[in-house]
Amino acid sequence: MIGRWVVGIAFFLHDSSRYRRLKKFFHNLLENPTYPYKKFFDYAMMVLIVISVYILVYHVKYEVKPDWLFFNNYVISVIFLLEYLLRFWVYSDNTKVIIEQYEHDLFLQRPFNVLAALRQIIVIKLKFVFSLSAIIDLLAIMPFFHEIRLLRIFILFRVFKLFRYAKSLQQFISILASKKFEFLTLAIFASVIITVSSVLIYVMEANNPESPIDTLFEAVYWSVVTIFSVGYGDFVPVTSEGRTVAMVIIVVGIAVISFATSIAVSAFTEKLDEIKEDKLIDDVSKFDQFYLICGYGPLAAQVARRFLKDGKQVIIIESDHHKVAEAQKEGFLALAYNPASLYSYNTIRINFETQVIAAILLEESDVLNVYTALTIREISKNVRMLSILLHHENRKKLLLAGINEVVYTQELVGLMSKEVSGRPVAFEVIHALRSENNGVFIEEIVLDALMAKQFFETTKLSMFHKRLIVLGVYKQLSQSFFFNPSNTLVVEEGDVAIVVGTRSLIDEFRIQMRRKKRV
Amino acid sequence: MSYQSAIVFGFNEFAKQIALQIAPEYPSFAIFVMNESERLAAKVAGFEAMLFDLSEDWKIIEEKFDPSDLIVFCALDQDAENVFLTISLRSIFDELPIIALAGDHESAAKMKSAGANKVMATQQITANIITEMLEKPTVTGVLHDILYEESFLKIAQLVVPKECFLVGKYLHEIDWGEEFDLLVLAIVDHQLSATFSFTSKGHHHHIDPEDVLVVVGYDDSIAALSEAMGIIK
Repeated sequence: MIGRWVVGIAFFLHDSSRYRRLKKFFHNLLENPTYPYKKFFDYAMMVLIVISVYILVYHVKYEVKPDWLFFNNYVISVIFLLEYLLRFWVYSDNTKVIIEQYEHDLFLQRPFNVLAALRQIIVIKLKFVFSLSAIIDLLAIMPFFHEIRLLRIFILFRVFKLFRYAKSLQQFISILASKKFEFLTLAIFASVIITVSSVLIYVMEANNPESPIDTLFEAVYWSVVTIFSVGYGDFVPVTSEGRTVAMVIIVVGIAVISFATSIAVSAFTEKLDEIKEDKLIDDVSKFDQFYLICGYGPLAAQVARRFLKDGKQVIIIESDHHKVAEAQKEGFLALAYNPASLYSYNTIRINFETQVIAAILLEESDVLNVYTALTIREISKNVRMLSILLHHENRKKLLLAGINEVVYTQELVGLMSKEVSGRPVAFEVIHALRSENNGVFIEEIVLDALMAKQFFETTKLSMFHKRLIVLGVYKQLSQSFFFNPSNTLVVEEGDVAIVVGTRSLIDEFRIQMRRKKRV
Repeated sequence: MSYQSAIVFGFNEFAKQIALQIAPEYPSFAIFVMNESERLAAKVAGFEAMLFDLSEDWKIIEEKFDPSDLIVFCALDQDAENVFLTISLRSIFDELPIIALAGDHESAAKMKSAGANKVMATQQITANIITEMLEKPTVTGVLHDILYEESFLKIAQLVVPKECFLVGKYLHEIDWGEEFDLLVLAIVDHQLSATFSFTSKGHHHHIDPEDVLVVVGYDDSIAALSEAMGIIK
């Protein structure tokens, strides 16, 4: 009977979109680093922690207004408690566990084992309860009982709680945690040394009336202070035997410090690349728009340089670590991921619909470019893709893979050769315009309504007349190009003007076209 | 400028495309390759190729072609080979127009030093086209039509004859669009010189005989201006 109720509730919650939406919202807010509103929640919690710690510290010596104490003891603690309960809730999906157990039992034609399901739920939830961050969270709620002096120690946990919200602090902990075994070994070694030296110094000094070390606690205190090279000097051995022990401990202390330092340094060195990569991924997710270059080589470097020169953002994805290092050395934002793998894009968290202006496939193989194109098409049907073509016979395959534009350099060079042999100067002029190295540019200006209206009027201004070359207007509607247009041509919004001139002249032309009616 | 003969050195994908494009333009055309496999590849593509090696003294060119009416394209696989070929040709033929392919900027500079008249840096060309296609797709389309397609709009280079009515005038004195329905993109002092001035950068250029005007316009407008300038076809 209870089992039926439990299963019924589980199915009800599982099917309830409202419940799922609510749970997903809290999960995103508390646990999903990519959720845009999470950072606001984290900042708010950090502010609460800082206020709370400040109040608690201030209250040690001074009087705090009752309102603030109430805010600290009840409001903040209740907020922390609620947060803890929410984390406990979103940590696992109980309905899923119950339904899976129910279906498992149903399949084996057994009655539903409610206790087995409950056991699984408890095991999962206990994992949360005994996780380090959850323990800190729970203890951080404790200043609620701040009247008890001993419990004031829990103020520390509120400070520790900051770790949950600051990514760099989390990274710091995770780096040190990667050397858990080494630190444990060191701790055991240090504990043995401290125990042995404490006992020895106690035995040597405790019965000597001139010695300040009288108790075992003082002996332990002296050992710790000495072994970690602090040496306050408030407790010193006076007997020859005690001083001998001290000399040994001092030498061992150096070993302990060196060991600890080397473990920490090696942990940071090993994780340095990972930290840098995390930082890069974070930077990428913050970009509004960029060109994505898949595959790095000399051509990719040239393309990236051109885009960067034009003020565009470029991200390079390349599976070869050496090439990535080369790209980074050149100052490009490059990530060591396989551009033909879905996993890469999920990890990098690229949004093809909103962030990627176009994906440019520059692998040195048509096979790889097709494979990458299919991967990207699986993620986004709309993103613009351009690829180089290495072998003429593969053109159709690239187009079938969803690539929008194909650049076949060899054919282009063939066409250019014809041009350069027949009209070398004309070729040189067009090449110079395209390479944008001569201070003269060929630009296209998409005209809005105001620009279209004032287009001819602006071209006649003395500033532009005979100086700015208006090559023509491309009519979007009829998809035709009108060379050297006269003012009888109807220029409309969305048409594209193609002009040749210096950068400043073209920019000024744009501004003048958008300037409201001149007198 | 038109030549009677053309030679393409090499037969890789680049050389093949060059051969396919220029072969119909020249009455006399030849391909020189360095090995048998390239010769066979050329044969498959419909070209008869001759074998050569880089230590050649190029007597064969003098025997088969008139070097003063010949243009060559160096499109061997390796940039180093192309540089060597260029310098070897230049050492014998002072005036021979040599057009060489280079992978990158560094090789392009070496080819220039070796004596190539024009260098096509393939990576730079591809990079320019890729960025242009994505950033200025209309410009790419229009330039492609003007340069390579059989459209009525053409780009032409007109050499100013001695007796031309333009001699002595400044570029800015003439409203090219209004008067001739064409646009002057650039002016070059000498036909073979690589130094040209874009008209949009400054109009104070004095037109002299032998200057080259690079114009864009319709076939008939260019023909009309040529006639007015007294250019004999």
